[in-house]
Amino acid sequence: MGSSVLVCDDSNLARKQLLRSLPEQLSTKTQIATNGEEALEILRSQNIDILFLDLTMPVLDGVGVLQAIKDENINIAVFVISADIQPEMQSKVLALGAKEFLRKPVKTEVLNEHLTKHGFL
Amino acid sequence: MSALNLNEDQQDCLQELINVAMGQASDQLARYLDTFVHLKVPSIEQVDAKSLSNSLNDEQMAVAVVSQGFFGYEGIRGEALLIYQPRDSDRLADLLGYEPEELSVEEQIIDLSSILTTTFLNVFAGQIDNQMSYSAPRLLSSTKSLVSEHLHQLSFNWDLALKIKITYQVTDYSFNCDMILLIPESAIINIKTVLNRILDEF
Repeated sequence: MGSSVLVCDDSNLARKQLLRSLPEQLSTKTQIATNGEEALEILRSQNIDILFLDLTMPVLDGVGVLQAIKDENINIAVFVISADIQPEMQSKVLALGAKEFLRKPVKTEVLNEHLTKHGFL
Repeated sequence: MSALNLNEDQQDCLQELINVAMGQASDQLARYLDTFVHLKVPSIEQVDAKSLSNSLNDEQMAVAVVSQGFFGYEGIRGEALLIYQPRDSDRLADLLGYEPEELSVEEQIIDLSSILTTTFLNVFAGQIDNQMSYSAPRLLSSTKSLVSEHLHQLSFNWDLALKIKITYQVTDYSFNCDMILLIPESAIINIKTVLNRILDEF
């Protein structure tokens, strides 16, 4: 299939953990962003299919990114991957249009399950 | 660079472990208080004895402090401080919903601190295949000198310490609580060993 993927997390370790968990057949091209602003720049200039988004980040946090995606009508599937697991935060990001809220650190099986559910695998 | 300084990768790795732990601690706090807790990126810094005492003085414009020691395998140990503003202590009593005659505000603060500290550190320890024991939490008086005194009684060498600061901000109630983890000099090298082991896996 081959989707274009963007991983946005301020932690290098978290990005590596996620990249390692991504199923090989998912992506032809995977890019990274280290904060929300960087992610938005990429989203505004390129066609990205899937964004894996952290929430607690410097410069612009994940909620800010979701708000901008909504405001600017950017067509993208967002999977939030966060350690901030409060129920209120989960409903907030889903209300802002995220496809799924996944708890950090995310397991390969969980990732596969949700990517399949949304037709990316 | 001193052998005790964390390099960029180690710092990043530690921060991610902290993120996951503070996420679960704030979830506990949110459920406990039935409210939402706003999280910020934690700060991690290496401090010497003088800066440590100065920075703690800054934190303590007449605040209540609860201190609790933690001890894990592989020489991972330190002291967790929970720091409250005095006006928040009064609010806290309302928030916790205890009957006044049931428990004093002091006991409630100790309770809450212990929940936060142990949740945070249990999750932290779980990620590094470790397990923590805790000393009994102690409410320190609000005067600055007592906190410094208390730290010096802990028989750690504080010439150099790793200071981790996490702010739990309860938005609905304008209530703030800072968690400060102090890792003494002797344990920093052990933390670095653990971080290197995780980094080697990636």
